[in-house]
Amino acid sequence: MRMVRFTPRFWISAGVFLLVAAFALLGPIFVGDKLGEGVGGLYDPPSGAAWLGTDDLGHDIFTNLVFGTRTSLIIGLVAGAVATVIGVVLGLIAGYHGGVVEEALMGITNVALAIPGIVVLILLSVALDFRSIVAMAIVIAITSWPWTARAVRAQASSVKTREHLDVARLSGASTLNILLWDVLPYLMSYICMAFVLQVSSAILAEAGLSLLGLGPSDSVSLGIMLNWALVGESVRTGAWWAFVPPTLLLTFVAFTLLMLQSSLDEVFNPRLRRGRQRAGRPASVLTQVGAPAVDARSKEGSPGA
Amino acid sequence: MTASAAFGALYSLAREEGSAAMSGFGGARQSRRKFLLNAALLSAAAGIGGSTLTACGQGPSGEGGKTRGRTGKEGETLFIAGFQWGPPNHFNPLGQSAAWPCGQGSMQLVYETLVRFNLLDGSLQPGLGKEIQEPDDSSLVVPLQEGATWQDGKPLTADDVVFTFELAERHSELSYATFWDYVEKIEKTDDATVKVTLGREPYNPALVKNSLASTFILPKHIWEPLEKQGKPMGQHENINPVGSGPYTVGSYNQQQLALTRHDDYWGKEITGGLAKPKTIVHPIFKGNQDGDLRFERGGVDVMQQFTPQIWKMWEVKKLAVSTWYKKAPYHVPGGMPMLVINTTKKGLDNPKVRRALGFAINYADIADKAMSRYSQPANSSVILPTGAEQKFFNKENVAANGWKYDPAQATKILEEELGAKKGSDGIYVLSDGTRLGPYTAQTPTGWSDWQNALRIVAANAKEVGIEIRTKFPQAPNVTSSVQAGDFDLACWGVASTNVATPWQRFRDVLDDRGVAKPGKPAFWNYGRFKDPSVAKLLDQAAAAKDSELQEIYNQLDTIFMKNAPMIPLMYRPLEFFEFNETNWKNFPSEKNPYAPPMFSGAGITWLYKIKRISEA
Repeated sequence: MRMVRFTPRFWISAGVFLLVAAFALLGPIFVGDKLGEGVGGLYDPPSGAAWLGTDDLGHDIFTNLVFGTRTSLIIGLVAGAVATVIGVVLGLIAGYHGGVVEEALMGITNVALAIPGIVVLILLSVALDFRSIVAMAIVIAITSWPWTARAVRAQASSVKTREHLDVARLSGASTLNILLWDVLPYLMSYICMAFVLQVSSAILAEAGLSLLGLGPSDSVSLGIMLNWALVGESVRTGAWWAFVPPTLLLTFVAFTLLMLQSSLDEVFNPRLRRGRQRAGRPASVLTQVGAPAVDARSKEGSPGA
Repeated sequence: MTASAAFGALYSLAREEGSAAMSGFGGARQSRRKFLLNAALLSAAAGIGGSTLTACGQGPSGEGGKTRGRTGKEGETLFIAGFQWGPPNHFNPLGQSAAWPCGQGSMQLVYETLVRFNLLDGSLQPGLGKEIQEPDDSSLVVPLQEGATWQDGKPLTADDVVFTFELAERHSELSYATFWDYVEKIEKTDDATVKVTLGREPYNPALVKNSLASTFILPKHIWEPLEKQGKPMGQHENINPVGSGPYTVGSYNQQQLALTRHDDYWGKEITGGLAKPKTIVHPIFKGNQDGDLRFERGGVDVMQQFTPQIWKMWEVKKLAVSTWYKKAPYHVPGGMPMLVINTTKKGLDNPKVRRALGFAINYADIADKAMSRYSQPANSSVILPTGAEQKFFNKENVAANGWKYDPAQATKILEEELGAKKGSDGIYVLSDGTRLGPYTAQTPTGWSDWQNALRIVAANAKEVGIEIRTKFPQAPNVTSSVQAGDFDLACWGVASTNVATPWQRFRDVLDDRGVAKPGKPAFWNYGRFKDPSVAKLLDQAAAAKDSELQEIYNQLDTIFMKNAPMIPLMYRPLEFFEFNETNWKNFPSEKNPYAPPMFSGAGITWLYKIKRISEA
């Protein structure tokens, strides 16, 4: 088995993401349990006591930022995972089965795709009186799985034609077994990338909902911080410290995750690995003649390749 | 957007007395919810995920220059904001959420009331009627102003007044139908005099006066034929409203509502001339932020919006903006949002626990931050310490029996008086095993000052060992939970200052008569508090002379403080009154107090006294 070679871009974006995660996870050790405690007045500017100033309730914005990042990341990861799982399961079944099952499942997926996600998100959020962090994540996942399902179906239906699946079928393996051990591994690299993108878009979706005042109840997230800044009219009153830090952090997280996704693409897809090609490594070593271009990606990083 | 721009104004009238009144209140909230949803959907559609859309009405840009004001038609127009948040639906004062200014309790531009409440001294100023006379203790007599006419030229007589009130006797769904709970009959003694005969059981002249001061009088010749059509009275759209006021509805669309001055206004002799603005335009904004921004730029002259840190506009930006007071609390208090406690929930059913909570809350913090300094720290009294109610406010009684922010005292009550033990999680458990929390505190989403107040309450409570979680559902959901008693804690309103407070507020807080069982909607005493001595005291107070009132209110307030069925969180103005003098000047203020800082009731006075900035 050949080792996957990661590019510097991957290491940088993964490193930055880990930094942000560490900020959210380890931050409380440094800021203590000041969440929800008044440390100053209404929109005090940054000072030694409150590094990023205070918000509309006199709470420390740095503390909010630490806990807010944590909430946003949790929602992103949970929503990303749930959406990816739903998408992969439906996509795999549809792609592998084909026929009526595929038609039905993809029909549902297309319908889901056609409904604007943000409307469903708003309506679901409005319907929930108390929105826990997990409930919020699931609401976001419910609206974001379809495109993963479609892409996975495309991949799965191309893997379906491979010869080793015939061998598996002949040896009497069950459908579940085949899907898990003979199809899924070929898609792992793709699923990885889809997951990263889902996390990124879930974080942004949460921020958008929270900005509208429909975020998780009784907690703080980056979007909720923006909502507070908005209703406190911090822009008009000149309290930039209320809205700049969460905006920057959100931008940072989303950008890093997109970088990570595109660097993973580079790692898994030999055609994008220009640097390596120049170094004389044959990029097309595993590319089969006649295999669809998308397929090349999946094989590269998969354990079976 | 914040709490209660709508709430305060709507509440005071819609709530007047009871059930039917609440339908109007519900309607108002409906429009707020619709507004919220619209804002959300719009911003989503615009793809910016925020609610900072700029409304594109035809208001001025505020660039007309600081000294000369706006020119041309815009200069003769008064731009007003904070009353209308969505496209106008109808102009029927009998229906729910009528467009401004035709909803009951709005500024008296199109429709007028018999007398007008003045927030500053609690007096009733002349309106369509000259005054309310009390020839004996069972009747009220209102002589009408001479020469009053409808905008279509027909004379306004006692028949119209009698018709208006009797309409609510025949149609019990109307918001002022509770008038008839306290009134035996209303009749005309001559064309220009109306006599109201009070009921004996229950006897309450103050509530009746409040109805007389807050019900728009309708023209019989227009509404009688409509009534004969048999449709519910609230469903007529009344597209071309004919009232008796100084303005008529000119044009309206999704962006703005424009009123045109009615130059044949009957009252111009009494008011010393016509109202100053030829036109009044209310731009329809998508949210407070847009309105505040336009106001700051001089595109709105006067408004009723919660504007965080408005003092910065003159202290920092040196704009010609002001409120009634130039210093905190900036506005004249007129209401008292409460932390309503469900006295049937385990733990919260113990008055000592509720009092401990009273000691735990940092009222100064709520006033300073949640209310953006627009409130003094709330006292533990049902009586407002300012304005017309001030004479009843008993400082000594509050000091002796009430509560104030004192976490140590809260801990003392919990540990020594209740014998509660703190669990390892920092939350107290009563000796019978009841853990103090988690309790849920709720108020509608988007009502930001109330949301923030609850966030402070939750944090304060946690510090003394009571667990409170906040949740902010949609307004209609909060309304139905609060009314049905399906809640632990809620930030909610009780009667705002009017001619019947503090009596009406005591009723709202303490009276268990007329309160439905949990599960059915109640319209006061949402927490289902019961005390056997309250009913008698309230009845005494309703019939008492001013000299006897103090003693009865003291007793009622003491019952309130010993039992803490609700906890006053802040004082809020009846209406926020904010003005920008870049085009119009001479708005009333503390230094120039010729009119109360109101839009409704007696507030209309300032409309005749403001001046163009370009006038000498």
